[in-house]
Amino acid sequence: MFDGSNKEQTSDKGSVSYAEGEDFIHIENLSKIYKRDDSETVAIEDFSINIKKGELISIVGPSGCGKTTILRMIAGLLEPTSGTITVAGHPCDKPGPDRGMVFQDFALMPWRSVIKNVELGMEMAGVPKEERRKRAEEYISIVGLEKFKDARINELSGGMKQRVGIARALVNHPDVLLMDEPFGALDAQTRNLMQAGLIKILDKTDQTIIFITHSVDEAVYLSDRIVVLTKRPAKIKEIIEIPWPRPRDRASPDFTALRKHILDELEKENVLDD
Amino acid sequence: MSFKYDKNNKYHRLGKNALIVVVSLTVFVLAWWVVSILAHSTVIPTPIKTFDALISFLQDGYLGISAGRYISASLTLFLKGFLLAFVLAVPLGLILGFSKSLNTFVTPIIEVLRPIAPMAWAPVFIYGISYDTGPMLVVFIGIFFPLLTNVIFGVKKIDPSLVDAALTLGASKFHLFTKVMAPSAIPYIMNGIKVGLGVGWMCIVAAEMYNPRGFGVGYCISDMCFNGLWPSTFAMLIIIAALGILTTSLAEYLQKYVSKRMGVE
Repeated sequence: MFDGSNKEQTSDKGSVSYAEGEDFIHIENLSKIYKRDDSETVAIEDFSINIKKGELISIVGPSGCGKTTILRMIAGLLEPTSGTITVAGHPCDKPGPDRGMVFQDFALMPWRSVIKNVELGMEMAGVPKEERRKRAEEYISIVGLEKFKDARINELSGGMKQRVGIARALVNHPDVLLMDEPFGALDAQTRNLMQAGLIKILDKTDQTIIFITHSVDEAVYLSDRIVVLTKRPAKIKEIIEIPWPRPRDRASPDFTALRKHILDELEKENVLDD
Repeated sequence: MSFKYDKNNKYHRLGKNALIVVVSLTVFVLAWWVVSILAHSTVIPTPIKTFDALISFLQDGYLGISAGRYISASLTLFLKGFLLAFVLAVPLGLILGFSKSLNTFVTPIIEVLRPIAPMAWAPVFIYGISYDTGPMLVVFIGIFFPLLTNVIFGVKKIDPSLVDAALTLGASKFHLFTKVMAPSAIPYIMNGIKVGLGVGWMCIVAAEMYNPRGFGVGYCISDMCFNGLWPSTFAMLIIIAALGILTTSLAEYLQKYVSKRMGVE
């Protein structure tokens, strides 16, 4: 899974190029208040973080705390009430393929074949057919679905569907890959395979990833940094740096200790993790 | 050679179903026969007399006009009404599903017109407009509204994460419409066609009865009734039923085929 070679990715647009490890995404004083009639719900309060190029940041927090809200604001699908987000120097005021998104429910077009799903973004951007095909095939092989490129979506398993979802986002060379509980709908075994596959992609590219999950185990296994949120209104409770190389040993004392620490922190927020 | 029924064998299952259909129809014909004998009335002819009338209608036609001509007249009218409904209802439904303000504007008008039975329009269209286009317009009304409401429903039922996915892939409003909303509405359009064809077929037969110089099966059956030709009338009922079954099964087949192609089953 996720085999094949992938060259260093370059951003299609943007005059400035960023090196791995440079500050790349700036989120400043981000807030989101939902107003309905005369009541206000503060979902996110004063969320600020700088993310480096090539980093994998995961955001964990009590259920319903607004993790997805943050991701949707970065994607440009939701307007912040206040604060600013820039990715590679560009403000995120509307959605675009420079911020690829991977959805928990896959969100693939069932009437399109695997390759046609992967081509969709390029199709809308007016990339010529030949090139579209070539690039789509390359990314389909990265996620290990060569044999299924002409398959229908409803013929695929959940894990395969999400691999299509990842290829569909990556093929547009996004500055950042936004993953919204991408493996949440998969069984435990497939989930572990997908995590291992994601690590392979990380090894080969300098893809920046923001990863939402409610699985602390998954966050510790994958992330360079973990952002722990408080319950609603979500604020940053703690940012934990994990310098360990990947793949990581889930049974190591460090791993279990960190996992326990985060679970304890979340429990203080009164909500149980899985 | 012995035969053993295997419920996992497709052909055995089909054979079993066919057998049940044959038995069911036989029971129906026998019941009809009993009723016709008991009623002892010319209004209910026996199956045999009906069958003879059917054969003679198919061979010699009625009033010097061939059976094929009556049937093709009805089918042509039906097809015209359907096509008119299709070209108007599908784009309109897609647009109304897409644009909220337009939908709010048009919905009251639709809701006023929709509950009117298509047959209520028949005298208006046929006597008010013309004998030729009138019945076609009745069929049009019969198909238009079920089709329109299904198309609007289809666009509204779209999975919001498909829209989000398309937006994050760089979709413009135009792309959203052509690449996401229209294709995801297609299974609903097919369902609308299926429902519409059923209603439309009922409309055509009834609408033709208003037409004193028509050719269709509806005209034919009402004329036979007026002249007390009961076996012929019953033969026409069989033809109408057969044509109705044909159109709905065609629509059902199409719906299944398209749903499969669109990845929804």
